[in-house]
Amino acid sequence: MGRFVVRRVGLAVLTLWLLATIVFVGVHVLPGDVGRRILGPFAAPEAVATLNHQLGADRPLAVQYWDWLSTAVRGDLGESLSFRVPVSSLLGPAVLNSLKLALVAFLLVVPLGILGGIAAGLSRGRAVDRLVTVGGLSATVVPEFVSSIVVILVFAVQLRWLPVTAQAPAGSGPGTQLRYLILPAIPLVFVLFGYIARITRAGMVEALDADYTRTAVLKGISQRTVIVRHVLRNALLPTIAVVATQTGYLIGGLVVIEFIFNYQGLGQLTFQAAQKLDFPLLQGTVMVMGIVFLVTTLVADIGYSLLNPRIRYGSTE
Amino acid sequence: MEKLQRRVDEVRASRSELDNHLIDELVTGRISRREFIRRGTVLGMSMGVLGFLAAACGGSSTPGTTGTSAAGAVKKGGTMTVGIIAPSAAVNPLTVADEGGLAVLGQAGEYLTWSDEKLNLQPVLAESWSPNADGSVWTFKIRQGVTFNNGQPLKAEDVAQTFKTHSDTKGGSSALSAFAGVLKPAGVQVVDDQTVAFNLDAPNGNFPYLVSSDNYNTVILPANYDYAGKYEQSFLGTGPWKMTSFKTGSEVAYAKNPSYWQSGSPFLDTVTLKFYADEQPRVLALQGKQLDVVSQFSASTGQPLFNNPSVKVLELRSVAHRQVHMRTDKEPFTDKRVRQAIGLVLDRPALVQGLLNGKGDVGNDSPFAPVFPSTDTSVPQRTKDVEKAKQLLAEAGKSSFTVTLATWNGYEIPLLAQTIKEAVQQVGGTVNLSVTNPSTYYGSAVFGKSPWLDSTMGITDYGHRGVPNVFLSAPLTSAGPWNSAHFKNPDYDGLVKQYVAAIDVQAQKAAAKKIEELLLDESPVLFPYFHFHMSGTQTNVAGVEPTAMGHIRLTKAGFSA
Amino acid sequence: MSAVEEVSAELDAGRSRQGRRAVRGERWRVLRRSPTFLAGAVIVGSWVVCAAFGGLIETHSPFAVDVLHRFARPSSSNWFGTDELGRDVFSRVVEGARGILVVAPLATAIGTVAGTAIGLVTGYYRGVVDDVLMRVVDAFLAVPAVVLGLLALVALGPSNLTVVVVIGIVFTPIIARTVRAAVLAERELEYVQAARLRNERAPYVMFVEILPNVTAPILVEFTVRLGYAIFTLATLSFLGLGIQPPAPDWGVTIFNNYVYLTGGVWWPTLFPAIAIASLVVGVNLVSDALTQVFER
Repeated sequence: MGRFVVRRVGLAVLTLWLLATIVFVGVHVLPGDVGRRILGPFAAPEAVATLNHQLGADRPLAVQYWDWLSTAVRGDLGESLSFRVPVSSLLGPAVLNSLKLALVAFLLVVPLGILGGIAAGLSRGRAVDRLVTVGGLSATVVPEFVSSIVVILVFAVQLRWLPVTAQAPAGSGPGTQLRYLILPAIPLVFVLFGYIARITRAGMVEALDADYTRTAVLKGISQRTVIVRHVLRNALLPTIAVVATQTGYLIGGLVVIEFIFNYQGLGQLTFQAAQKLDFPLLQGTVMVMGIVFLVTTLVADIGYSLLNPRIRYGSTE
Repeated sequence: MEKLQRRVDEVRASRSELDNHLIDELVTGRISRREFIRRGTVLGMSMGVLGFLAAACGGSSTPGTTGTSAAGAVKKGGTMTVGIIAPSAAVNPLTVADEGGLAVLGQAGEYLTWSDEKLNLQPVLAESWSPNADGSVWTFKIRQGVTFNNGQPLKAEDVAQTFKTHSDTKGGSSALSAFAGVLKPAGVQVVDDQTVAFNLDAPNGNFPYLVSSDNYNTVILPANYDYAGKYEQSFLGTGPWKMTSFKTGSEVAYAKNPSYWQSGSPFLDTVTLKFYADEQPRVLALQGKQLDVVSQFSASTGQPLFNNPSVKVLELRSVAHRQVHMRTDKEPFTDKRVRQAIGLVLDRPALVQGLLNGKGDVGNDSPFAPVFPSTDTSVPQRTKDVEKAKQLLAEAGKSSFTVTLATWNGYEIPLLAQTIKEAVQQVGGTVNLSVTNPSTYYGSAVFGKSPWLDSTMGITDYGHRGVPNVFLSAPLTSAGPWNSAHFKNPDYDGLVKQYVAAIDVQAQKAAAKKIEELLLDESPVLFPYFHFHMSGTQTNVAGVEPTAMGHIRLTKAGFSA
Repeated sequence: MSAVEEVSAELDAGRSRQGRRAVRGERWRVLRRSPTFLAGAVIVGSWVVCAAFGGLIETHSPFAVDVLHRFARPSSSNWFGTDELGRDVFSRVVEGARGILVVAPLATAIGTVAGTAIGLVTGYYRGVVDDVLMRVVDAFLAVPAVVLGLLALVALGPSNLTVVVVIGIVFTPIIARTVRAAVLAERELEYVQAARLRNERAPYVMFVEILPNVTAPILVEFTVRLGYAIFTLATLSFLGLGIQPPAPDWGVTIFNNYVYLTGGVWWPTLFPAIAIASLVVGVNLVSDALTQVFER
């Protein structure tokens, strides 16, 4: 296990470096310059040149690359070219915001999905199963921007039960922040419910058909006890699956939801950084996404192999 | 009556040649009362004098627009939340180039003059000003007893240094393009402790607008201010608001400045400007009562707010517009008849109705918007005439042609592009659309590296200005840096010089008339419409003063009593 | 579904080319009887018809502007109502099918071809080639699809061509992973060893021997990714980076019209949204059926 983790961490570092280099090349090889993006098309070219010089954007590419890399490995991500504040000061709040939203979404959708999947598995083929499966599928295909707008219109504007934006005022307690995050979490519930329910259902079906169930029932243990005993294991698997595959999306991929709810999360920050060719900020956000992805897949792989010793480590590689 | 006339004579005796000329215009009825007042403020006459003269000698007056919420009985105290566009970059007076950034600058910072919703100039840090005989030197008297919010007193040097910085080619200021050809740093002169003089490169009758809130980078800062430092940490300025907290990308909060020079102002205790990346969440937040004021939304997003009794919509006639350019040096537009034909296929009133929900003025293919006092409205309005267009095209031998129109996908611009495509199809032309995003369309904003400046046909969005000077020069003069139509016409260049140098309204109008006629004849660019600037407030809010520029002045704002 | 189980058992057994042909015929017969497949095929088929024969189905021109009749409610003359320029929403929805049915499959196909190539190479050669290429693949996988697409399109400027290429690149990594896993399993089988013993060159072994045996998971993966591609395309269009006007793309239409929802004008937003949803459902049903048939 130890060697496995060390190898994976080593590979992760290599992947991150590759990612950083790809982003650097992408930002600098393509046309456009930061100074012009900041000052806009109507500013004098002399002013743009002065700004580019101040930002160090007119230095040779190799110098800029080495400069960024050598400070980044020491943990200093530099200063945002457009906002002129340390990248870490922008990343911190953005990541925290994304984490909070992801957490609220998880807390809502994982129990719902698991319950739905169990119900569907138990009543296989009948009405409840159809409802959950079809319902889950239909919910998944509603584009996030559509469900976000509908949810705002109904609950925030018409009924006034919940706020229109997701950003709670500074200094609010957890309860208030939760209130603000419920509406944006709902489109995420739509997107993920079907997926979780389906995995749970499949696990339930497998458990119901499995030899050990039949054996246990034959031995006199009620089917219910067997299910309950194995529910935990069956519930963990989909949870891990979701963590492994969806965390990346939940942390960095929510650009549209953050846009509509005016929420300063990681997706929004990345979008803005890209539009302004703000290389240090963009690198910072992409690095965070990369780290989140690599950590969660590693944790998930470990979790899988702990849960099911029949799976060798690294089989998802 | 006699006493009144004697009083008027006394006032006139103390005024300059130029001022008297303007008063003559009013007396003989050649300009309206409103135009008199506006022109008078540009010349530096005080509102008191102007009001007196207008009442005593004035003829007709034109009602203005209800752009500001009436400052009725307003309670003192309270805190207001305002939703604005998120500043797109660090807030620094040198580099701000967007509406969000300028709205923030205008709270703690102040300008020499304020260009208001009626296009009048109000004195702020300048108490009064006047031109010399030909308008090549403008002298400003600086207000005394003003302090920056760090205690430092405001001096004439501070004003001078501010403008030296912004007009310096090495200063890196976004405002440099506004001063190009008008003012150099060497022309800024400290006459004495209380006076600054601007020696211009050429006579300019509209110069005071260049040192007003219209030129939003020019907030007055101390002479020793380090512009490379972090403005966001101090928000140094003379304005009514002191910054209490600033969170990049999120919001900025202010408390009232206790040592503000205008005693009794501001009325509110604190004000928070919340940043929104997009219009839709802002408008929704107003509807959901999460904001007291929302600054700037377009006609389509603001749809649910019109005819809505629970919010107040503030509409300002603005000169912001979408400019359609046609390259005069490239086929098929080398023949001006083809360009005229394109101008004739557009149904402008329908465009205003359809694309802007009626919230706009029809344009007549020149920068002279109906709302500018110097516009000559006797020039006939171009209207849709498909038959004439076909005839012109046939004469030019271009009964069918293909052209690519480049632009970007914001606001109603793609819709305008599609409408143009449809309209041109009716006369045999094919327009292929290349709609991208702003970064791609503007590129590096220099000739050869920018679809904006290189495309055969394109649509560019221009924001509001208090006077048409910028619109006349940069996009249309032979050496203009924004000349996407590659229009090189010496007659036009000469007329623009005349307009810019003209100090009195009649001379401006005379030059305007010739320019309008020339542009209609040559049609290098089309101005289909000028769209309004709209903001919204809750019904219990009063005294909010937005400007079509994007400023939102809250000095007299408060909650209704 | 015992028919499915039967077929799966046969799959496990026959790996030779003759065996494969017989199995393919059997699979197709099973598919035709599957209600999931049929439902999905009907939905997707309807949209394909719209894309191909839109001109015959549309009631009005999708581009005709009629400012006097903007925001007309759905009625017998305008089945889905009109939008802000008075254009008929029904005709625009039908017309919009073409764009998405060209771009999304094309993009997915590009991704599939590229992903298959990478998967074959890394799965077959393993070792250093595998390690290096998979790290690059991982680097791309680390970034969510929408963000990757958005970054590329902001930089390159959106045009229909770049959109196709970008979405293709976005899906290449995940397809590469799937193909690689399949190839890793295949290369240990006897027929591959036999081919190598015969001293066949590597490209021959990869493309002639292995590839035909992994077409099943590739096909399944293609249809799964197609659903995501449609989704990602709609989202990018919503952000202004997808299919460009004047094509009445569904995502762009929603982007232009959702501001009017607050004013009670729901039809220009709802119908394109249903169109996207139904197409994705149809594609998902087809891929579900394929998965069941091809599952080991």
